[in-house]
Amino acid sequence: MVIAWEDGHRSSYSGERLRWACPCAECRGEAGAPGRLARLKTLEPNELRVKDVALVGQYALQIAFESGHATGLYTFSLLRAMCDCPECRARRSTA
Amino acid sequence: MSPTPQQVLDVLSHIQDPDLGRDVVSLGMIKELDVSPQGKVSFTFELTTPACPVRDRFKTQAQDLVGDIPGVSEVEVRMTANVRQAFMRPKPSEVLPGVKQTIAVASGKGGVGKSTVAVNLAAALSKAGATVGLLDADIYGPSVPAMTGSHSVPEQVNGQLKPLEAHGLKLMSFGHIYPGDQPTIYRGPMVGKAIEAMMTQVDWGQLDYLVIDLPPGTGDASLTLAQAVPLTGVAIVCTPQDVATDIAVKALQMFRKLNVTPLGLIENMSWYICPSCGHRHEIFSHGGAEAAAQRLGVPFLGAVPLEESIREDADAGTPVVISRPESAGARAFVEIASQVAARTSIQSFRQLPVINVR
Repeated sequence: MVIAWEDGHRSSYSGERLRWACPCAECRGEAGAPGRLARLKTLEPNELRVKDVALVGQYALQIAFESGHATGLYTFSLLRAMCDCPECRARRSTA
Repeated sequence: MSPTPQQVLDVLSHIQDPDLGRDVVSLGMIKELDVSPQGKVSFTFELTTPACPVRDRFKTQAQDLVGDIPGVSEVEVRMTANVRQAFMRPKPSEVLPGVKQTIAVASGKGGVGKSTVAVNLAAALSKAGATVGLLDADIYGPSVPAMTGSHSVPEQVNGQLKPLEAHGLKLMSFGHIYPGDQPTIYRGPMVGKAIEAMMTQVDWGQLDYLVIDLPPGTGDASLTLAQAVPLTGVAIVCTPQDVATDIAVKALQMFRKLNVTPLGLIENMSWYICPSCGHRHEIFSHGGAEAAAQRLGVPFLGAVPLEESIREDADAGTPVVISRPESAGARAFVEIASQVAARTSIQSFRQLPVINVR
C-alpha cells in the first residue's frame, strides 16, 4: 500500500508490516490483557495480504486483509509515524 | 489598440485572495475572458462561494485594474460563484454524492445556541445564493422543526426519504420522523445508525453546503459523523463564560483528533442591549470565545448578541436572518456565514492523502 500525503511525501507499507501493526483491541489487547499479536509468532499468508482499504472520515484507514480481519482503524498519524523511508528513519533516530 | 487577453490576466493576477493566499488567476477564478477589437473587456469572476466576504472588493479591484490598461474602453465583470468539491476529490463521496461541502456545528456544551446558529448559518448561506441543506443530528432533542416551522412528515420515494423544504432550505430532522411529544429513546449505537440513515437514506440531491447541527457532547453522534463523512470542517459555538468555553475547547480538540478542521469559534449571547435603558449588558461575560480561539490558534468567526427577536423568531419558525435582516443579530449571522464560507473554501483546496494498493 502506498500513501501520497498532503505535503507530497510518499510512504509505502507491506501487508505484513501493516498486519503486525494492527491497532484493534483484539490484536493489541485491552484492559491490561495481552492481545492476539503478542501471543503469536507467525501469521498465515492470507492474514498478511491487504484485500481492501476504506477511508474512515478523514482521520483513518480501515484495512481489510484477505483473512477477513478488518477491525483495525489505522489513523493517519499512526501511518505517518510508521513510514519506513530512509528520510523518516533518519529523523526518528536523531529525535 | 486593445490589449491582449494575456495583458488582462497579468494585471488581474495582482489580485490576491486573502483567504486562499494565492492570486485569483492561478486559482482559476477568471473565466470567459473576451477582449473586443474596440477595447471592451468582459470576463466572469468565479468565486468559490456566493457568501464571499470580499466579493465587492474583488469586483472593484478587477474593474479598476483592467480599466487602467491603455486601450481599454469598457470593463464588464460578471460575478458568479461555484462552490468547489471539498478536498479536490476526483470523485464525489459515496455517502453524500451530491453534496459539495459538509459543515458541522458543534459546541460540546448544551444550551449555547447551536441550533439557532446552525439554522441561521444555513439560511444566510442560502440567502447569499447557495443551495443549502440542514441536517439536525440531535436525535434526542431535535430543534430544527420548531425553528424552521416545518412540521410535516417526510415522504418516502423509492425507498429514500425526501427532505422537507422551508425558507429555501432542505431539512431533515428526527423531529420530523417522530413529531409531537414522542421521545426518541435510543442507546448509543442506535444514535449512530440513525445519523447514518439521515445521510444515506435521505435524497439530499445537489447541495453546495450541508450544515449539520450536532447534539452536545463528544460521543456517539460526533464520532459517527466524523467516521461516516469527510467533513469539510466544524464551527464551534459557545457562550462567553468560562464554563462554556472550557467545554467548547474539549469539543474542538476532539474534532482535531479526528482530523476534522476547526473552521473557528462563534460566540453566542455575546452582549445584550436593554430595550428600556439602551445600555449594553454582558450577561454571560464577553470575549471568552475570541480569547479561546486565540489560545488554540483557530479563527474567531464572530459574535452574536443576545436578542429577544432571535428567540421570538426561532419559536415562530423563521430564522432571524430572513424575518429581520436589519437586526444586529441577523447581521452578525450573515457576517459569520461569510466567514464560515471563506474558511470552507480554503479547505476545498486541501487534499487528503491518496491511497494506492498494489
